[in-house]
Amino acid sequence: MTSQPLGSSGAGNPTGATRVVIVDDHAIFRSGLKADLDPAILVVGEAGTVEEAVAVIAETQPDVVLLDVHLPGGLGGGGREVLAGSAPLLGSTRFLALSVSDAAEDVVAVIRAGARGYVTKTISGAEISDAVRRVAGGDAVFSPRLAGFVLDAFGTAPADIADDELDRLSARELEVMRLIARGYSYKEVAKELFISIKTVETHVSAVLRKLQLSSRHELTRWAAERRLL
Amino acid sequence: MTTAVSRPPLARSSDRLIAGVCGGLANHLGWPVRMVRVGMVVAALAGGAGVVFYAWLWIMVPTADESAKRNARQPASPIAPAVSEPAAGGTFTGGRPGAPAGSWRTRFPGMPFGKEILLGAGLLLAAGILIARLLGLDVPLGTLIPVAAILGGAAIAWMQLDETRRAGIVDKTKADQAGGWARLAAGLGLVVAGVLLMVSGSGSWEQTWLALLASVAVLGGVVLVLLPWGLKFWRDLEAERAGLVRATERAEIAAHLHDSVLQTLALIQRRAGSENDVVRLARAQERELRGWLYRDPGRDSGRLSDGLQAAAADVEDSLGHAVEVVTVGDCAMTERLEAMVQAAREAMLNAARHGGGAVSVYLEVTDDAAEVFVKDRGPGFDPASIPADRLGVRESMIGRMRRHGGTATIVSSPDGTEVRLRLPLAATAGTTGTHGEDNQ
Repeated sequence: MTSQPLGSSGAGNPTGATRVVIVDDHAIFRSGLKADLDPAILVVGEAGTVEEAVAVIAETQPDVVLLDVHLPGGLGGGGREVLAGSAPLLGSTRFLALSVSDAAEDVVAVIRAGARGYVTKTISGAEISDAVRRVAGGDAVFSPRLAGFVLDAFGTAPADIADDELDRLSARELEVMRLIARGYSYKEVAKELFISIKTVETHVSAVLRKLQLSSRHELTRWAAERRLL
Repeated sequence: MTTAVSRPPLARSSDRLIAGVCGGLANHLGWPVRMVRVGMVVAALAGGAGVVFYAWLWIMVPTADESAKRNARQPASPIAPAVSEPAAGGTFTGGRPGAPAGSWRTRFPGMPFGKEILLGAGLLLAAGILIARLLGLDVPLGTLIPVAAILGGAAIAWMQLDETRRAGIVDKTKADQAGGWARLAAGLGLVVAGVLLMVSGSGSWEQTWLALLASVAVLGGVVLVLLPWGLKFWRDLEAERAGLVRATERAEIAAHLHDSVLQTLALIQRRAGSENDVVRLARAQERELRGWLYRDPGRDSGRLSDGLQAAAADVEDSLGHAVEVVTVGDCAMTERLEAMVQAAREAMLNAARHGGGAVSVYLEVTDDAAEVFVKDRGPGFDPASIPADRLGVRESMIGRMRRHGGTATIVSSPDGTEVRLRLPLAATAGTTGTHGEDNQ
């Protein structure tokens, strides 16, 4: 997965290593994750609370922040608050949410706050390294569960032409989301749909943008039912 | 007088003529000793009040040495109430008790000594009335005594309440708002009026209606005054009940964690050597805890997604292999869908047995069909090469789906295998749907 050529905005590291800050309130998890990550990924900072995280991120300006959804400190908003506190950096620093929680409210809240992806803490070091590189390259990282939430939120019917572009997923985007929910990797999705990985990534990024920006009635209702907004 | 912020404590002086009372008093009040002594003598001549006051102070006020010792033990010794007693006992003088009363007000400004100030003011008033009577003025004692009794009673009742209660009552009655004050005043007024009527009424039968009116007025007033109390106590009761509910909830959580998480952690410690066991235990516990934490208790059970999750949990438990279930949409479980869950379970078992890595299960329910996808990352196999006697795939999955009007498709490649189950929902009437769609 060498998506580095795409990472036009992830510049600033001539060595080619991806600079990462790990934000998690459990020191054991932080050190375990650090050991699991690829050597090409450089951990430049760690934080255990909302305040620490905002300070460390502003200071180190990493390529990627691995952000736990549940964090102590701040106003109790956890990862969302870190994202809000780092809003000026969202253009250059990508956030990848990391959580033990599968709850829709946790996942969708951080995505809507600006995270570029979501993975569970149980995934392997290789998978998480891959996800970090992908996010650093400007792509979105969708776990099967997040894809499931997206399909749940946007509905499984494809967009009509009359619909607002933000409010529904196109037929292709739906196909991609369905395959990801079924456990397909991007490569497998590309193979299954006879498109390039690059096109898959474009679709996934488009879905992420819709998830972040859509104010569609159903999404609002869906979120309200789960107390997201 | 008000400038005296800190006065020396009232203690009998060592510079004494008789017992050092006048010296101590002068020292305490900041007046010249001579003046105090002259005043005392004058008071003594006025019916002996000065003598009684002096004697009382002699007994009650400690010497300077004793006072120092006592202060060392209890820093803020409230001697004020003790000193106010003689005036209560000797209502015979006018100006004399006023002096100490006035001094406390300045010495102890603010609420902590409001009690003493009130008492002093009351005594002053009583003394003034007595003097007025002595001077021949006509004071309507018949009216004043009941009023005083009522006010005294109210004051005592108020003082019985602790700070928080008082704040609560003030808060409840909205006494800091005009309406609240009006209500309080109306209540008190009614009480006073009622009691006065009763006291002044002659008690003759002709005035029964008046007494009745008075009683009603009293009751009305009492209700009005006590209502905030009642509300307050009701609120306390409610808070207590809420606290009990919280405690019960907490106990339930503790019991649950003890039964599940702690037991599992103990098991994991004992079997730390076996990676497979540890993973299986941790996985099962995670699933159980997750279900307990995130499941909406109001949701009705018996849904298709529940059935599928249960099947996945079953496979996880028996084979120790992670099965990730993602569901989109849901519907009530039916006999046909139960068959699909069984087929999916078979597919999961196969995937966990033969495939590597995590098994992904995806359920999608739309208006016209329910679909389940079971994917693994094993080496794959050729579905056509399954021997005829292997019932797992042929019978449990394909045959079962076909019998219920659905389809089962197996797609296998070296990258992994995916089983796709599809059951049309529109044909719910015919549980033994015969319109077999092409399978495989």
